[in-house]
Amino acid sequence: MRRTRWRRTLAAGAATVALALLAGCGGAPAGPPVLNWYINPDDGGQAEIAQRCSAASNGQYQIAVSVLPRQSAEQRQQLIRRLAANDSSIDIMSIDPPYIPEFAEAKFLAPVPEDVAQRTTAGIVNSAKEGASWNGELVTVPFWANTQLLWYRKSQVAGTGLDLSKPVTWDQVVATAQAKNSIIAAQGIRAESLTVWLNALVEGGGGQIVTNASPQDPDGVQLGLDSPAATKAAEIMKAVSAVGGPGFSTNSEDENSNAFQSGDAMFQVNWPFVWGKVNSAVEEGTVPQSTPDDFGWALYPQTEAGRPSAPPYGGINLGVGAFSKHTDLAYQATECITSTENQKQYFLTNGNPAARISVFTDPDVVKKFPMAPVIAQSLQQAKPRPQTAYYSEVSESIQRTYHPTAGIDPPTVGPATAALIKAVLAKEELL
Amino acid sequence: MTTTTERPGTGTGASPAPRGASDRSRAEQKLGWYLAGPAFAVMLLVTAYPIIQAVYYSLFDYRLTDPDNISFVGLKNYAVILTDSIWWTSFGVTVFITVVTVAVELVLGFLLALVMMNALRAIRPVLRAAILIPYAVITVVSAFAWQYAFSLDSGFVNSWFGWLPGISAETDWFGSTGSSLFVICLAEIWKTTPFISLLLLAGLAQVPDVLQEAARVDGATWWQRMWKVTLPNMKAAIMVALLFRTLDAFRVFDSVFVMTAGANSTETVSFLAYRQTIARVEIGLGSAVSVLLFLSVVIICIGFIKGFKVDLSQARGEK
Amino acid sequence: MSTRERVLWIVAGIAIVVYALFPVGWIVSLSLKSSDDIANTQFLPTSVSWDNYSQILVGDAAGLFLPALRNSFGICIIATFLACVLSMFAAYAIARLDFRGKKLILSTALAVAIFPVISIVTPLFNLWRQIGLYDTWPGLIIPYLSLTLPLSIWTMSAFFREIPWEMEQAAQVDGATTWQAFRKVIVPLATPGVFTTAILAFFIAWNDFAYGISLTSTGASRPVPAALGLFSGASQFESPNGPIAAAAVIVTIPVVVLVLLFQRRIVAGLTNGAVKG
Repeated sequence: MRRTRWRRTLAAGAATVALALLAGCGGAPAGPPVLNWYINPDDGGQAEIAQRCSAASNGQYQIAVSVLPRQSAEQRQQLIRRLAANDSSIDIMSIDPPYIPEFAEAKFLAPVPEDVAQRTTAGIVNSAKEGASWNGELVTVPFWANTQLLWYRKSQVAGTGLDLSKPVTWDQVVATAQAKNSIIAAQGIRAESLTVWLNALVEGGGGQIVTNASPQDPDGVQLGLDSPAATKAAEIMKAVSAVGGPGFSTNSEDENSNAFQSGDAMFQVNWPFVWGKVNSAVEEGTVPQSTPDDFGWALYPQTEAGRPSAPPYGGINLGVGAFSKHTDLAYQATECITSTENQKQYFLTNGNPAARISVFTDPDVVKKFPMAPVIAQSLQQAKPRPQTAYYSEVSESIQRTYHPTAGIDPPTVGPATAALIKAVLAKEELL
Repeated sequence: MTTTTERPGTGTGASPAPRGASDRSRAEQKLGWYLAGPAFAVMLLVTAYPIIQAVYYSLFDYRLTDPDNISFVGLKNYAVILTDSIWWTSFGVTVFITVVTVAVELVLGFLLALVMMNALRAIRPVLRAAILIPYAVITVVSAFAWQYAFSLDSGFVNSWFGWLPGISAETDWFGSTGSSLFVICLAEIWKTTPFISLLLLAGLAQVPDVLQEAARVDGATWWQRMWKVTLPNMKAAIMVALLFRTLDAFRVFDSVFVMTAGANSTETVSFLAYRQTIARVEIGLGSAVSVLLFLSVVIICIGFIKGFKVDLSQARGEK
Repeated sequence: MSTRERVLWIVAGIAIVVYALFPVGWIVSLSLKSSDDIANTQFLPTSVSWDNYSQILVGDAAGLFLPALRNSFGICIIATFLACVLSMFAAYAIARLDFRGKKLILSTALAVAIFPVISIVTPLFNLWRQIGLYDTWPGLIIPYLSLTLPLSIWTMSAFFREIPWEMEQAAQVDGATTWQAFRKVIVPLATPGVFTTAILAFFIAWNDFAYGISLTSTGASRPVPAALGLFSGASQFESPNGPIAAAAVIVTIPVVVLVLLFQRRIVAGLTNGAVKG
């Protein structure tokens, strides 16, 4: 926690506690209906927005936030278990996009009203629109969109001959790190981030992990893991593991941002939080100003030269619970939450990029995030992870077969994973 | 050591009431059940009912997000699990953790008990308090403490033990199966050895001094006394400690959940059951894993009681 | 004991103290590191910082941690109390009365004690959803009874067997009423056993993790061990090691205090019910 930030969010925290106490007392407090918003952990931004929107609703509703676990897979578990129980206390949910098809298929989401859909998708980046939809229709409201950039240390890249003003390929980045005897920090841990990485590599090569989602019938799911793009993706993963430094197989985003910040790694593929993190460290005085000054950023590396890369797409979209007693109010609240102003504030205070394209040209945003134009471009190019109602099976299977990345056999790992996914979906194998 | 002798009238549940049972003893029967019944009922309700339900679910193909498509599949779930390498890997890992931790804990616990036995009266309370702390610290906290100690990012282990061969600042303890299991076992051992050592201490205290003295007079060395007098007289205490700890270790879950989340094939049976039901929301398959876990525990228990002749009446404190 | 032996035992004693306190010291030390000091890979912080504590007690994470602390205390104390009351009656019957089924009850307690919690989490979860106990205090208190009751029944029975019940009759012969005899003679004798059982039961409930993460989902009932996994850094990708360490220290304080105050009783309770010669 940054001391500078927690003072500011103290009030929000206190209000949250008060609300949580109110909500936890069982009896409905007198006054406006309480909308429960289940949020992913952040730096207090969603709680602030909840307060602002409650105040702005003129007593129509009061939003109370409840925190979900840190890992998106665990967030999904918790929501699914409650929704399967037809829990009416879930009004609004912050959902990680890959799980949205499953929620939609299981009829856990209240349909988005036509007018809300129009207003909330106006001026939204492509990937966020795609990620908030299922079967061609919008099922959630885009809130914020995340993407990974290629970050590099200018001083270390200088003199290597790598020109980062133009798009670069993974092969070039690996060769440069090898030549410099340095490290590329990428997410090699057995977690959701491994699927994020693989998907970006496969899509970047023009392939797809899931070629036919087959919503109603798990046996009809078709996979594209035997394509040349998938083989190339596995080769890149293996090559990066060799220059991934110690602990590559257990490194997640945070370890990687540390390795990059300390200068051990000359490259990293990571989300923009690394920028907020290094600047807080400068404010605290633990890192010199020269460190962030040495940060460079570029679009995500290409899988194959000449083909635009398909950077990872992440972020959060808002779903409204199908069993909520206040779906109309909840959709009203989502409109307030995802207003351009709130998206901008959330970006500025919590470092989570907006889904609305206009935010990226806002002078305040550009001042604080000089890489905003690159993020916006990355979001336009980004591709969601496989959209399928069985996403967690697909992702878990990938994590099982592609981890540790140093040990994979590129030609066979894809088909083996496809076979595993098919067997798991047919319930012939454990996972 | 005493054997269990039942006072007349203390029948087991199955034997008929003694003939000529007086009104008084009948009233006592009633009162006994009135008093002990509620506790008995609560225990049964919270455990027996869910396990029966788990057995029932395990015969179905049932995914939580798809409640309209529940179908009866008989024993197919069991067939899937028992022919799957994942089950056997996690079973092997669980057995490995159990054997290693219990073996180390017995030896270490015995040493601790010896020290406490022979410690000066003045420092005994200090030792007792110190040894109870690992017992009282919650497992999750202990798991976090050990994980952070060994992690590449925040741990001090690599910088402290860098002089050992094979350990450098870049040793990734959670990067491979062997070293991950080593840390998991270490955390388990740290936390549960004190409990074992206390049980063994109680057993040590029961070894009659007279026998020790006699052996000493006969000129037996310290080792001989240990093997010939102390240990045989402690057999019951050792066995009870062993049984409880084995069953406890076999259910290991918290440490694995916190430290590796099952990566690098460090999954244990409990964790596997958790993942199939809670993470994969496959209620049918997961229930089948749960039932198999339950059966494993029962088999271990029966094996101990029959194989090692553990007299549980000892444990129950029946005289 | 010769001097050499004495020194040996003292050294061994010191080794035990270090062994027991080392990891606890480490987590305390970790909790006092500032967010950028966490990765210093040293045992001690470069400078002591109370940031992590302020964060979970008054800062951002307070909304997560304080309700969890309240839940943990509330649920564990109630579960302990109920387990004690139920097992008091049961133990009295077992220690004092001749009735059929004594063995059955003790064997059941044993069977429940070795029960793998994970096996029953899912059925319980489904049942709780149907009857509305999911994510409520009673929804955790009831399963906690399955953890605390077996141990309570055993420990309490072992203690109650030690009580010289004939004192009661002696008092009645001396002219006291049944109630007086019970209150003046038996209650003081039984209290230590009940108290010790309560401490051990509390430890067990406090230690639960599996029920906590499976049967709760909000601050309404989530206990601290389950909440530890929910802390987050300044963004969702930053590790919350510091706040976790601070929360771990706070949740350890009550049990350490209990150990320091009642160590003798706890040892007696642990060994009394387990081994009888």
